[in-house]
Amino acid sequence: MRCGDFKENYIKDEEIFPSSLAKFSLAIFLVFLALFPFIANAHMLYIANMIGFAIIGAIGLNLLTGFTGQISLGHAAFIGIGAYTSAILITRCGVPFWASVPLAGLVSALAGMVIGIPSLRVKGLYLCIATLAAQFILGFVFVRWESMTKGITGIHIPPPAIGDLAFDTEKTFYWITLFFVLLGVGYARNLIRSKMGRAFVAIRDRDLAAEIMGINLFRYKLSAFAISSFYAGVAGALWVSFLKVVTPEHFPFMLCIQYLAMVIVGGLGSVIGSIFGAVFMTLVPELLNVLSDVVKAYQPGMEKLIIPFKQVVFGFLIVGFLIFEPRGLAEIWNRVKRFFTLWPFSY
Amino acid sequence: MKKILFCLFSIVAFLGPFSIALAQKAPTICAIHPFTGRFAFAGIEGSAAMQDVVDMANEAGGVNGKKILYYWADGEYKDDVGIAAFKRLHAQYGPQVMFGQSTGMTKALGPEIKSRYKVLYSAYTMTSEAANPKENPYLFIAAPTYAEQFGVLLKYIAKEKPGANIAFFYSDTEFGREPIAAAKEMCKKMGLNVVAEEVSQVGGVDLTTQILDMKAKKTDYCIFQGFVSNPIAAVIKQSKDYGLNAKFMGTFWSTEKQLLNELGPLAGEYVGVSAYSFSYQSDLPMVKKIMDWTKKKYPTIEYRSQSYMQNFVTGLLFVETFKRADKMKGGLTEGNMVKAFQSIKNFDVGGLMPPITIKDNSIPVGRVYRGNAKTMRFDPISDWIRMD
Repeated sequence: MRCGDFKENYIKDEEIFPSSLAKFSLAIFLVFLALFPFIANAHMLYIANMIGFAIIGAIGLNLLTGFTGQISLGHAAFIGIGAYTSAILITRCGVPFWASVPLAGLVSALAGMVIGIPSLRVKGLYLCIATLAAQFILGFVFVRWESMTKGITGIHIPPPAIGDLAFDTEKTFYWITLFFVLLGVGYARNLIRSKMGRAFVAIRDRDLAAEIMGINLFRYKLSAFAISSFYAGVAGALWVSFLKVVTPEHFPFMLCIQYLAMVIVGGLGSVIGSIFGAVFMTLVPELLNVLSDVVKAYQPGMEKLIIPFKQVVFGFLIVGFLIFEPRGLAEIWNRVKRFFTLWPFSY
Repeated sequence: MKKILFCLFSIVAFLGPFSIALAQKAPTICAIHPFTGRFAFAGIEGSAAMQDVVDMANEAGGVNGKKILYYWADGEYKDDVGIAAFKRLHAQYGPQVMFGQSTGMTKALGPEIKSRYKVLYSAYTMTSEAANPKENPYLFIAAPTYAEQFGVLLKYIAKEKPGANIAFFYSDTEFGREPIAAAKEMCKKMGLNVVAEEVSQVGGVDLTTQILDMKAKKTDYCIFQGFVSNPIAAVIKQSKDYGLNAKFMGTFWSTEKQLLNELGPLAGEYVGVSAYSFSYQSDLPMVKKIMDWTKKKYPTIEYRSQSYMQNFVTGLLFVETFKRADKMKGGLTEGNMVKAFQSIKNFDVGGLMPPITIKDNSIPVGRVYRGNAKTMRFDPISDWIRMD
């Protein structure tokens, strides 16, 4: 049982690391992340990179949807803008990867602000449709603006490098992904406890009341769209340099749904929920693959029945979360923490 | 100096047998099939075909006495899932050859296959990017490219009606658009007129605009690309209502029994190109062998699709490559595998295709078939047409 852990003021209440145990646990986790590339094979590192991109994208969507309450169905398009911006800057303008990532984020943020303008007049399902329109318009642009995007052929991108050191494998790229994930998580965690973060939450809970309290809706709603799209753009830029190719088919509408599922399963309005959601949505299908491999090894032939079933299992898992824990994996994590905080006197 | 030489000698002596053992590891095939997802109709058949080739080859003594190992995974027809499966299988089994599920996956992995994995690779794609040995010697397709399939159809048209008006009807996808530019060039060379380009969604139903446009432009032949069944069936059926008297043609993925079933009495209106024979052409020795095997192993199955044939031919090429590379100095090394593959000439596949000669990592040959409304089968209406 952790004793003496009570807060005497709001500043203490808002601390990122509320106890030395939290700091210690995080340090252990960071050590594990640093050692991971040395113990994992190429496949595990590929998955780790994909989880990293998903975390960055999911945090972006959670800031907009979970914290500010603005539903977006255009997230895949913002990821696409980041991916194409980065690819075009690298291949056409000779901009180094390191500069292309923030620039991709900025271009996506700009696009996000433009798409976010309707949010000042419409909300809920109507905003959904407005952002959905953006998804389709931008998808069309990716295919048809051939002089810039090379249409369906796509753009091949060289791997990032510093001097002779090329980040062209899962292992080397892992460090880039890890850096941006830590940066993204750290910024988001700080943002939500700032004035802007509190404004986002106020808008989500009741925008009229927030405006009466003096919150500038125009500024904060557009800021939420810009920050969310910035994250999406960075995720897209990283993803494209990792895959080394970008085509319009990488950003289908289903990708938006996948990201929404991530933030819902992980926990709306929670940074750690975005992380859990991204890990869950990326890792569970892989674990189901491993399960079908085990079945294949012990019951040859049965895998042909099991493999189609894994999508059903995945669907049931998501529905199960929505029914039994609507606040997502983040809430389960909080309950586990509370249990151990009071252990062995938990009730 | 002597100590250094002694150490080096010891290392070589110690590691030597291991390196030989590595070079002589079992011939291994890994495949990523779209077993679920919207391309599952091809993946289920394809995975069965690859398994059958391996089982048949192992029954016949394997690769110079060595048993072939085969592992596969479901790629769900999603690029990220497919790439993950590729990396997982490669890390687990270290195969010499791999088979992928889509054009997107092939494009994404192409540079890494060349620079890092160095495995002979084919896929469920017929994109020309996978048949460019100068750019990437490891990628190949066991069929003509989509552009070459257009070439086969255009050659057929040029012979049947010189100077005909052609319309291209394609889906708004990579699969749909890929061969169009090359096909236009071929039309110019063959003296055919491209009068219309129609674009539709996969599965589109309202096709009035496109049909009326083709009618206004006096289209003689309409060639579909990028669809499996709909909207092809819908266009053919609706064209009767609007008085469009064009002939309808399509490439590999739509030249399949499923489309004829959807067309019903209009099945005879469709002409397609395929690189392979059909499973009901049982007078061909390899088709007979496949169907006898199918009867023995899967008694309820009476028909094998063109995706089955594609995977079967690819599997035969994998096995033949293994056999040739195994006889080379060093065995199944990456370099030997490419050399062995590219050395394949007049390889008899028992009538599934004409004897195979690899040219620019593809097999540029196809045959034109017409649907038969009575038998619901495709009947060949041309000989094998080569595009090289």
